[in-house]
Amino acid sequence: MTETTTLLAVFPDLEPAADGIEQLRSLGVADENMNVIAGIPVTEAMLGRPRQWSNVPRLAGGGAVTGFFIGLFLAVGTPNLYPILVGGQPLIPIPPSIVVVFEMTMLGMLIATFLGVFLDSYFPSYSPKEYVPEISDGKIAVLFNCPDKKQKEFVKAMTTLGAESVKPAEVQKL
Amino acid sequence: MAVSAKPLSHPQVEMHHDPRQYLMLDPRPRGEMNEMVMDSMLSISWKFWVAAGILGIIVLVCLFGAWGYMIFEGLGVAGTNRPAYWGIFLVNTVFWIGISHAGTFVSALLRVFKAEFRRPFTRAAELMTTFGLVQAGLSIFMHMGRVWLSYWMFPYPNQRGLWPNFHSPLMWDFLAINTYLLASTMYLFLPLIPDVAMARDRSTGWRKNLYRILSLGFRGTEGEWTHLRHAMNIFAFAILPVMFSVHTIVSWDFAVATRPGWSSTIFGPYFVIGALHSGIAAVAMVLIVIRAIMKNMKYFIRPEHFDALGKLMLIVSMAWAYFFFNDYMVQWYGGDKWTDQLLHFHEAGLLGWMWLGMLILNIAIPWLTLWNKKIRSNPWILFIVGLLINVGMWFERYIIIPISLTVNRMPFTWREYVPGIEVLLTIGTFAFFILLYMMATKLIPIVPVWEVQEGQMAHSLRRFGRETVISVSELE
Amino acid sequence: MSKHKIPEYNTSWSEEEQGRWGMVIDQDLCTGCQACVVACAMENNISFVGEEDVVYGRAMHWIRVERFWEGEYPEVKATDFQPVMCQQCGSAPCEPVCPVFASVHSQSEELNLQVYNRCVGTRYCANNCPYQVRVFNWRDWERPEPLNNQLNPTVTVRQRGVMEKCTFCVQRIHEAEDSAQSEGRELVDGEVQPACVQACPADAIVFGRIDDPESEVSKLTKGGRGVQLLEDLGTQPRVTYLKGG
Repeated sequence: MTETTTLLAVFPDLEPAADGIEQLRSLGVADENMNVIAGIPVTEAMLGRPRQWSNVPRLAGGGAVTGFFIGLFLAVGTPNLYPILVGGQPLIPIPPSIVVVFEMTMLGMLIATFLGVFLDSYFPSYSPKEYVPEISDGKIAVLFNCPDKKQKEFVKAMTTLGAESVKPAEVQKL
Repeated sequence: MAVSAKPLSHPQVEMHHDPRQYLMLDPRPRGEMNEMVMDSMLSISWKFWVAAGILGIIVLVCLFGAWGYMIFEGLGVAGTNRPAYWGIFLVNTVFWIGISHAGTFVSALLRVFKAEFRRPFTRAAELMTTFGLVQAGLSIFMHMGRVWLSYWMFPYPNQRGLWPNFHSPLMWDFLAINTYLLASTMYLFLPLIPDVAMARDRSTGWRKNLYRILSLGFRGTEGEWTHLRHAMNIFAFAILPVMFSVHTIVSWDFAVATRPGWSSTIFGPYFVIGALHSGIAAVAMVLIVIRAIMKNMKYFIRPEHFDALGKLMLIVSMAWAYFFFNDYMVQWYGGDKWTDQLLHFHEAGLLGWMWLGMLILNIAIPWLTLWNKKIRSNPWILFIVGLLINVGMWFERYIIIPISLTVNRMPFTWREYVPGIEVLLTIGTFAFFILLYMMATKLIPIVPVWEVQEGQMAHSLRRFGRETVISVSELE
Repeated sequence: MSKHKIPEYNTSWSEEEQGRWGMVIDQDLCTGCQACVVACAMENNISFVGEEDVVYGRAMHWIRVERFWEGEYPEVKATDFQPVMCQQCGSAPCEPVCPVFASVHSQSEELNLQVYNRCVGTRYCANNCPYQVRVFNWRDWERPEPLNNQLNPTVTVRQRGVMEKCTFCVQRIHEAEDSAQSEGRELVDGEVQPACVQACPADAIVFGRIDDPESEVSKLTKGGRGVQLLEDLGTQPRVTYLKGG
């Protein structure tokens, strides 16, 4: 294993950033050793990056199922725990049960979606991380690991492709 | 004979309008937009504090003071009686839930349909949803006879061994409003994360700490954006049925009851449309105020947006008229003795002017004004139209609740409803809404800058033959 | 709590289903003297709300004597007096709408009960009552000395913010049942008398078991003069009004 440093190249726009990523790949940096930081949702396809995996839709589905069963418990289960008959209606009337189950399903799904973002993104995490505030001004930053010996070569390659700055990534307090 | 033809129209070489009148075609560097939004958020004039102080006093006195007095004295200080057991508190509840619908409508429905004009004001509308629901919730609590026991409606295992009654439309309401409040708050928060991260990078002091906490450590990595995008997509689709269910269930509070005038199967969609009618008008009003008062907002909110909202208002007004007529027609034709009495009381009773006013404000005024683009694009005229629509929709709820309750099947009990302390509490909820909104505009970036930038990236001009047209690419 | 057993309950109410306790009010006999209203207020610890609130529609009476005029002034004719109290519906609209089960159906007496201490005051039940017989405690009305000594110890005193209504004097039903049981005998027809029945000088109100075909109330109910209020709503009221004898 060779010693590596994390470099951070800041690009002014999409095109150069995409070129830079391609160049990095040809210089032997694997996709999993790169990361892109941007102030807008740049899709993976725009930068020629592999598709990101997200658990959010699955978690949402799981939340919906959980919510469904909680709703079912409220609508069908709780009347049996303490049966009280009202208005000549059945103990478990179907139409109101549909309403209850629907609301709880949606609630479960949406809470799970929300928490899914937290889980998948490791939110909240206030520990210092590699970051440049310029990205929220529309810049696109590429973080990548490069072998120490080749650092100069990488910096040069990135600069010729239009990077505004290439330097070892600073871990800063967010 | 030579073939000759008159041109149908004069060939147009250039666009009639300057494309830069549209926000999406008037891009500015992201850094500049960030500065503009930060600047509008951070510049707080003395006028703001004076207004906040006055509103704060109104909230303390009219809302919490009067409410405390009412809790201590009992609901006798309000105007409710037999037969008008429900009064202005529930009028306000329905009204505020209606207001809250517009936020979701703008940010979710327009997002789902990729209506690009939504971009600069999705957050302004979402804030209305959350704060409107706060007022609706407060109004429900005010309405309750023993509010200190309201937790008995919460389904949890308790020492009483008793669960709430899910036969009751009020329980459906409880679940639906809770779901909607939680969902709309989360939906407000998710797209806010990148913007508070932006604010975090640009602020100092206590604000820095606040935004640090709110932004949860967001950096904008590919993963974070992907999860956020997935989540926002799920929310945009899933919150719509929740929104429709909320006002439908509110309408069922009335529609499932055995009362003349209430027991109407069309109440569900009629209420949803009514909610959008007042809600969209309220969004327009809020945007006009924000644009006039806050710095730099003339760049983000433009006549094009008022034009689009005005069109929506007109369409919704037509839909509302359609549903109103549907409801009225069938009830009138049915010829039920009590319903006839009630309809006659609506039109010619003590508050017949309110019924007429409702029709003028909700139908005549929007139809007579909003067909014209010049009127739609003029903020202050639109503000007045929006205000009138909201008054009209408040009238509608007043007619449905206390006025319809006055007439029932036991004529011996018919009695007029005269509002009491409700008037103060109504003023209180309005002041509280404005106060919360004002505070929020100074605490969080009111314009979703990243969404605006994304939209500006997606828009371009394209030439078709001799004509230049606006073209939108789908980035997501 | 799951051991809490309740008697079998037939959810599909049919026309024949009569319930248990019932009442007959003969409008031809009623003189409109309001004795029933007073007796009810005394028996059930009903608050005195004062002139102003009565005028505004906040009287707490569980029974009211309705009267109307027919025709246009000055050619008016007074109609029969019509005492109205809770009709103890078999299929009561007030019951399912309560979110906290404060308005419930009693399985053993077939009555419609209000659990005061469970009520949170949403007032939905009162809105949904077609007979408008539910009354709400809009305030904590004063009960100056020595009126507090008049309170009936067998009936709960209600707090502000709580809905209440006629119970057919369920406390009297229980008292009679208990004494019959302790004496080892069946209840006799006419043994249970709600306060309004007891106080009626014209004997216009009759109370008893309507599931017993031999009782006076059953005979009167089926006597051919009986009508029920707002019968078309299908609420299965247990009070029958007699008219046109």
